[in-house]
Amino acid sequence: MIEKGKISATQMGIMMYLTIIATAILLVPAITARQAKQDMWLSPFWASFIGFLTVYIAVQLHQLYPQKNLIEYSEDILGKFLGKAVGLIFLFFYLHVSGIIIREYGEFIVGSFLLHTPLVFVMGTIILVCSFAVRCGLEVIGRLAEMIVPVVIIMILILLILLIPDMEVANMFPIMEKGMMPSLKGAVIPQGWFTEFFLIAFLLPYVADRNKAKKWGMISVVAVMLTLSFVNIAVLFVLGELTAGFIYPAMSAVRYISIAGFLEHIEAIVAALWVAGVFLKIAVFYYALVLGTAQWLNLSDYRPIIFPVGFLLLLFSIWSASNLMELTHFLGSSSPFYRISIQMGIPLILLFIAKWRKRASNSNQGKYQG
Amino acid sequence: MGILQKAAKILFVCVHLMLLSGCWDRTEVNDLALIVGLGIDQKKDGKIMLTVQLVVPKSIGGGGQMGGGGGGGGETIVRSGTGATVADAISNLQEKLSRRVFWGHTKVVVFGERAAKAGIRQHLDFLSRNPQTRLRSNVLVSKGTAKSVLELLPPIEQSSAEVMRELSESQLLLRVTIKDALQMLSGDAGAAALPMVKILPPEKGKKELQTIAFIQRTAIFKKDKMIGDIDDKLTRGVLWLRNEIKLANITVRLKGEKGNITSTLIRAHTEFIPKYGKGKWKMIVKATAEDDILLNGTKLDLLNPKHTKMIEKELENETDKRIRAALKKVQKELKADIFGFAEIFHRKYPREWNRVKNRWEEIFPTVEVVVKTKVYVRRPGMNTAPQGLPEQEVKQ
Amino acid sequence: MFFLKKVKKKVKKQQEQNQKQQNQNQQQQGFLSNNLDQNLQELQNIYQNCMDVVFRQFQIGGKTKAALIYIDGLANIEETDASVLAPLMKESDVRVNGEQQSIDMGIDVNHILEQKLTVSKIKKVRTITECIEYISGGSPVLLIDKQIEGFALGLSKWEKRSIEEPVGESVIRGPREGFTESLGTNLALLRRKMRSPQLKMKSMKIGEYTQTEVVISYIEGIAEQTLLQEVETRLNRIKVDGILETSYIEEYIEDNPYSPFPQVLNTERPDVVVASLLEGRVAILQDGTPFALIVPVSFYSLLQSTEDYYQRSLISTVTRWLRYLFLLISLLLPSLYVAILTFHQEMIPTTLLVTIAASRELVPFPALVEALIMEIVFEALREAGVRLPKQAGAAVSIVGALVIGQAAVQAGIVSAPLIMVVSLTGIASFTIPRYTAGIALRMLRFPMILLAGTLGLLGIMLGLLMILTHMAALRSFGVPYLSPLAPMQGREMKDVLVRAPWWKLNTRPSLTDNIQRQGPNQKPNPDYGNDKTSKGKGGSL
Repeated sequence: MIEKGKISATQMGIMMYLTIIATAILLVPAITARQAKQDMWLSPFWASFIGFLTVYIAVQLHQLYPQKNLIEYSEDILGKFLGKAVGLIFLFFYLHVSGIIIREYGEFIVGSFLLHTPLVFVMGTIILVCSFAVRCGLEVIGRLAEMIVPVVIIMILILLILLIPDMEVANMFPIMEKGMMPSLKGAVIPQGWFTEFFLIAFLLPYVADRNKAKKWGMISVVAVMLTLSFVNIAVLFVLGELTAGFIYPAMSAVRYISIAGFLEHIEAIVAALWVAGVFLKIAVFYYALVLGTAQWLNLSDYRPIIFPVGFLLLLFSIWSASNLMELTHFLGSSSPFYRISIQMGIPLILLFIAKWRKRASNSNQGKYQG
Repeated sequence: MGILQKAAKILFVCVHLMLLSGCWDRTEVNDLALIVGLGIDQKKDGKIMLTVQLVVPKSIGGGGQMGGGGGGGGETIVRSGTGATVADAISNLQEKLSRRVFWGHTKVVVFGERAAKAGIRQHLDFLSRNPQTRLRSNVLVSKGTAKSVLELLPPIEQSSAEVMRELSESQLLLRVTIKDALQMLSGDAGAAALPMVKILPPEKGKKELQTIAFIQRTAIFKKDKMIGDIDDKLTRGVLWLRNEIKLANITVRLKGEKGNITSTLIRAHTEFIPKYGKGKWKMIVKATAEDDILLNGTKLDLLNPKHTKMIEKELENETDKRIRAALKKVQKELKADIFGFAEIFHRKYPREWNRVKNRWEEIFPTVEVVVKTKVYVRRPGMNTAPQGLPEQEVKQ
Repeated sequence: MFFLKKVKKKVKKQQEQNQKQQNQNQQQQGFLSNNLDQNLQELQNIYQNCMDVVFRQFQIGGKTKAALIYIDGLANIEETDASVLAPLMKESDVRVNGEQQSIDMGIDVNHILEQKLTVSKIKKVRTITECIEYISGGSPVLLIDKQIEGFALGLSKWEKRSIEEPVGESVIRGPREGFTESLGTNLALLRRKMRSPQLKMKSMKIGEYTQTEVVISYIEGIAEQTLLQEVETRLNRIKVDGILETSYIEEYIEDNPYSPFPQVLNTERPDVVVASLLEGRVAILQDGTPFALIVPVSFYSLLQSTEDYYQRSLISTVTRWLRYLFLLISLLLPSLYVAILTFHQEMIPTTLLVTIAASRELVPFPALVEALIMEIVFEALREAGVRLPKQAGAAVSIVGALVIGQAAVQAGIVSAPLIMVVSLTGIASFTIPRYTAGIALRMLRFPMILLAGTLGLLGIMLGLLMILTHMAALRSFGVPYLSPLAPMQGREMKDVLVRAPWWKLNTRPSLTDNIQRQGPNQKPNPDYGNDKTSKGKGGSL
């Protein structure tokens, strides 16, 4: 195995939590609000079903091939050629998605804070910092997650508390004015984020306490769901019908915080802490990408390809969209189907074939249960 | 280890490259024009005139004395620029300023009367789109031009913008932030209310500009255009109907008694109960207040529960009167739903409301409003009997 | 290619060195002969041009030749005179039981040892090397003619500092003794605190020329064997001409020598060493320095002061949090100043911003340069303060900073708020109890200022993330540097987030398998019902 480090199931759960939350918190409220209106707080509940399903698929596949990750077992399941092809699809998918994530980050920073700083520079620095973390391996990323998660959770809680004076509960009513449909429609796009849970397929082989992995995967999904719901509720209470009109409603709500007249405009601090979350998200994606590429190319170490891949990521982040409107349009329209089909569709097919193969071989060799 | 070391070297080089390539967004504080107040006026030719009030940081003593730069005295100046839109006017304004305009400290946005009547949506759009401005800035309308209000040199506060902010925050009358304004405009009701300021005539011996603008009226908007304004008394009634009343002193005269009794509001809450039936919209407004007695000009002993009941009754009547007056003016005459009845109906009767959504402007004046007020007098203040009165004259 | 050549060269060099050493060893391996003159000749050759080595030749009982070799200043001369030279020289007849024996047979050694030499510590030496070892160590060596054995007498004594309160780690409450430069004293200090024979002290010599004695101390049954082996292997690896301070050793045994963070704890306090040993750590002591090394350590243990455990737990908890806060301040405050003042002006309340802007109105430098200038000046003042005599230094440094700051503001070179920022940062960095950790953070704040000047708060965050990544990847003797925070050890949080009362700190850190450190139910539980004192008072309760 290329990766020698081990992480605990808890670390994996925490890592996934941050990985999903980091960009979701920023973009999901507005996208959800556009469809679900005042029912936007319900949408994460519906969307989380996909999350549970994704975790389930990843864990099932992992149980069939405990020592291997997606790139490795897809070859076992589909044969060398098809398996490599599937691996390639995934690698390109992650390259593309990571590029989009980096672009989201860059657009946010440049659009809100550093108006005159070149986008490439902002994205390049975060890739550099992430490559530093990826180079240190999975263990270190896991530890970083443990350090960053409490900070992020405390930050979210403090912000929710600080926003309480400006909340207007009435914004929530009428609940389900037009039935379930708007909230279900609003759930379509957050589903894209929940499918990102499939990343655990790359982490599971390195989890030390395997029996807990499924539990922590599920806990992570629940935590993401609750966090998104709370953030949606808070944003809805503060901004009401305006939510859909902002690009980053959560940030706009934060900008509205004012405590005792001096604690104002804390969005820069919040954004800086948020950067820590995005850093981890990019690092996890980057890691999966680099590790997968190394395995796909049958390299003995993934470290040498970190910088080349980082450069590719920068290129992909520049290519992913020509401007912010195009990016949000992509995120709000085709991206969920794109993400679901690859992160859930393909694994589901893999799982069916694997099960079918196991059954076939079991009936040949007699019963064998692991 | 070797790799780590190499990575560190690369990073080191990169950090230096970063520094060499310059600092795009770095601005020194002293290159910023700190704008505290923003005024938007519309000229007769339809152009927008933007007036900003900026703080000039001036160090006292010029740094020569002990603790030189310590004291910061703020002096304000006012500059204007014109253009087709607000953003256009800014670039015109920037030409006249040696420092870059900085919106991060904008506390108040004042619309001139004419600009308000022409529509404020596009201006608000700019204010919410700009990453520097604060959604929490207070929005006001001025009687006359916004410029005339910003030009004032208040005797107490640092700037007239600060005066208006303080007055807004006191919540004596209406208080609206950019976010509130946007919410009202994009809400179901399609109407908004903004506080309106008027220049206080200067005291004797003071110069013309040495005065403040104070919030005295409320401007009523339909869609984004101002259609009228109401005075402070009516505004209080509106505040009751918006469940925003925070401070109110009510003075009543009891039947058969000489002298007045003034009570002050401690806590107030207004509840709205919408009713719909047979194509008729009805709103029950239940206003509840807890009061303390502030002044007793009568001869009544306030410890007597009977007297308290009487006072409560009278206070209820007075409150009721205020609310009705506001209703009459706003609902029947101006026909603007600044109370947010539309939202309330929408929440309770979504299906029925959706049917009349587009005709709400016609329906609103016909909504039957039932006002029920309840006032509780909690404490008589520090005294029981009327002070300065011989005991035998006190009515038990 | 170049690299290969280098390696080859290295290998060759090493081989040569090894050969040299072997030759030397063989020469010195020579056993003592039974001819005193020959032995003396050999020793004199070795100690050529060593004027501090004294060869005292005398005769036992006026017949047998003998010699006492010692180093002036290291041997206790009065004691040697009284208990060695006096009894031996006054000896008249050394023949056993009056039996006739030829002079060739020599004197009866056992008789001398048992009855004449009033010295408690005597070691027999057989080789020249051993002789040299003892002589250099301060013990006089007695050589007697016709004997193939010499005697090393434990009569070394040299001038040493008495036990004093450690300057670098003073406490308000707690033991006031500190290590000295003498290894023997230090070991005694440890042994006095821990009497169990489980306290082991393994000795080894490091330094080809200095031959410095190094002692590995640990508690058997608590310290992990693997850790101990790791320490020994790393120490054995050291091949160097000499070590003068434990910092030499520290740099040879560190996990990541390029890290700014110390991965080994050094202390002057025996109580700190004993407490660490009880936690399953290993201490390395060295002759000639009062600083002992403790491995492994994690970052948070560098933030703990000895006194945390001597003060009441509630107070210690508050102090700890104060320290964590000031840790961040010492790292971030100047960069936050730069970032907020040049990138995020909206964050400062208007009135304060106007004040700052007013005070900066006449300052010609950008905030970044201003901050860098003052921080560098402050560091220089601090460094100068350290070189000044003793405690005066600290005071002078701070006063200097204040005076210079005042003048700089008046001269319009820097703004007044910055002086406050710089001084606060300085004070904050002194709240970190371990000097090495404090200085690491102090140095890191310079790149942070540069990053803040480039990208504002985002730059600070990126810098922090890099530091955090580095720390997460760092290990001290295999123990993750950020443990027990990452990887999270819930059990140990009671000694990190708070300082739980002693009766609650019932487990050791997970450095060891021997986890339990106290019996169950240690919480004080005074039972007033059965209290004899209250009974005596006749039911007052």
